[in-house]
Amino acid sequence: PAPPALLPYVPRVPPAALPGKLTATTFALERPCCVFDRHANASDTVWLAVAFANASAAFRNPPSRADVPPYEQLPTAHSYMTLETAAATYACSASSPAVLRVGGDTLCGGQGGRDPCNGPLPSPGPYRVKFLVMGCHGPKAETRWSDPILLRRAGSPSTIDPAPVRHGSDVVVIASILASLGAVLAVAVLCATGAEAWGSLCHQDSGTGAFARRSYRTHHIPPALPQPLPPGCRCSPPGLGCFAPRPPGPCPAK
Amino acid sequence: MAKSDDTCILQGPLVFGNVVIGMCGIALTAECIFFVSDPHGLYPLLEATENDDIYAAAWIGIFVGFALFALSILGIVGVIKSNRTLLLVYIILMLITYAFEMASCITAATHRDFLTPNLFLKQMLERYQKSETVNNNDKWMAEGVTKTWDKLMLQNQCCGVRGPSDWQEYMSAFRITHSDADFPWPRNCCVMDAQGSPVNLDGCKLGVPGYYNSNGCYDAISGPMNTHAWGVAWFGFAILCWTFCVLFGTMFYWSRIEY
Repeated sequence: PAPPALLPYVPRVPPAALPGKLTATTFALERPCCVFDRHANASDTVWLAVAFANASAAFRNPPSRADVPPYEQLPTAHSYMTLETAAATYACSASSPAVLRVGGDTLCGGQGGRDPCNGPLPSPGPYRVKFLVMGCHGPKAETRWSDPILLRRAGSPSTIDPAPVRHGSDVVVIASILASLGAVLAVAVLCATGAEAWGSLCHQDSGTGAFARRSYRTHHIPPALPQPLPPGCRCSPPGLGCFAPRPPGPCPAK
Repeated sequence: MAKSDDTCILQGPLVFGNVVIGMCGIALTAECIFFVSDPHGLYPLLEATENDDIYAAAWIGIFVGFALFALSILGIVGVIKSNRTLLLVYIILMLITYAFEMASCITAATHRDFLTPNLFLKQMLERYQKSETVNNNDKWMAEGVTKTWDKLMLQNQCCGVRGPSDWQEYMSAFRITHSDADFPWPRNCCVMDAQGSPVNLDGCKLGVPGYYNSNGCYDAISGPMNTHAWGVAWFGFAILCWTFCVLFGTMFYWSRIEY
């Protein structure tokens, strides 16, 4: 049988910025449009061959559908084929999503699932892929191998450092101003009460402390009023008492 | 009791100052109650970081605000009656309240700085959908973080802290139970329809614009927390500056009134 025709098309990861185009176990490929129309007819199928980048040179096209390496053989054979689709899906007129996702089927593989399995890739790779058109009698056309596709490797969260870079200036402003205000208040209160206490201790009688000023409630002692002289008294200068000819009665007290 | 002219002039401003302190105290209490009530439901995230001091600052703010209100009434009565004892009690209690409010302000301002994107990223990766929890406390925190993040991503249409790539760049507890092929990022990162299921699951897994949430949730987290921390810190700072002046005036008044 004639060797399969080599198409110049190179499969590639879509250039669009899709965050999910390369994950740890899957990758996306641009859908080849209008590539196989000249070489495939309606009954042919297009497969995707996936191989480790260092094993792509050793990949041999399977002579028939029965020899297609399945997904489970990837660890041993270092390659497998998947995404079996009718050639008509890649025809020019077909309208379909622009992207193929390799590795997106988590339900197949393992316990004798149906072939072909588009299971998640077990390691970050790198991988190379090519499309292969298989007819009834074997491969009819193939594309070139893609560039190596390296999948993501996730880092450990323990490498994340949560510490802040530096304290904001707001903190410094608030802390310094408040601390100084608080200190001034404390000092003022201490001074005020201290001066008060000192004033009351040292100037007990004539308090003329700097802050304290006591007011004196003057106690008003009324002066004694002159009493009217008793009738028998001969006058003497007032205030000296009275000289009575009789035995003295109770004289008014001064 | 004889009064000099100084004291007569001071009475008006001091009463006014105390009225303002009273009103600010009530406002501070109300503001801090609002923050403590956690209207955005972000408290479980802080609880899991074991660094919820901005909440402690808000709790202190509630009581300080109430104390300021009560003391301002005492101050007004003391100033009007020119009673040295009342005013001395007022000054001493105000100083204690001042110290507490200082602590609250500085705590809120300082601990706000610890809430960096990396802190939430690390916590999200380590606790979101964590299934093998070590003890009850761990389980409680993991459940809180999971519920909060699910709600955050759904309500704010965001994904991860900086974006969906957070889930790809780092290993996570989520990744242990959810395969990378099926869940490059959590389901809640997908655009949901009215029934709560993704509009286009394959589009979401690939990251096709319109079917997944491309922006990070950090703004939705830090916005309310900043408001909380700065509200407590700066408003408290303003109150303390005003209180400083009033206290100074009161001390001067106290020293000038005669027995």
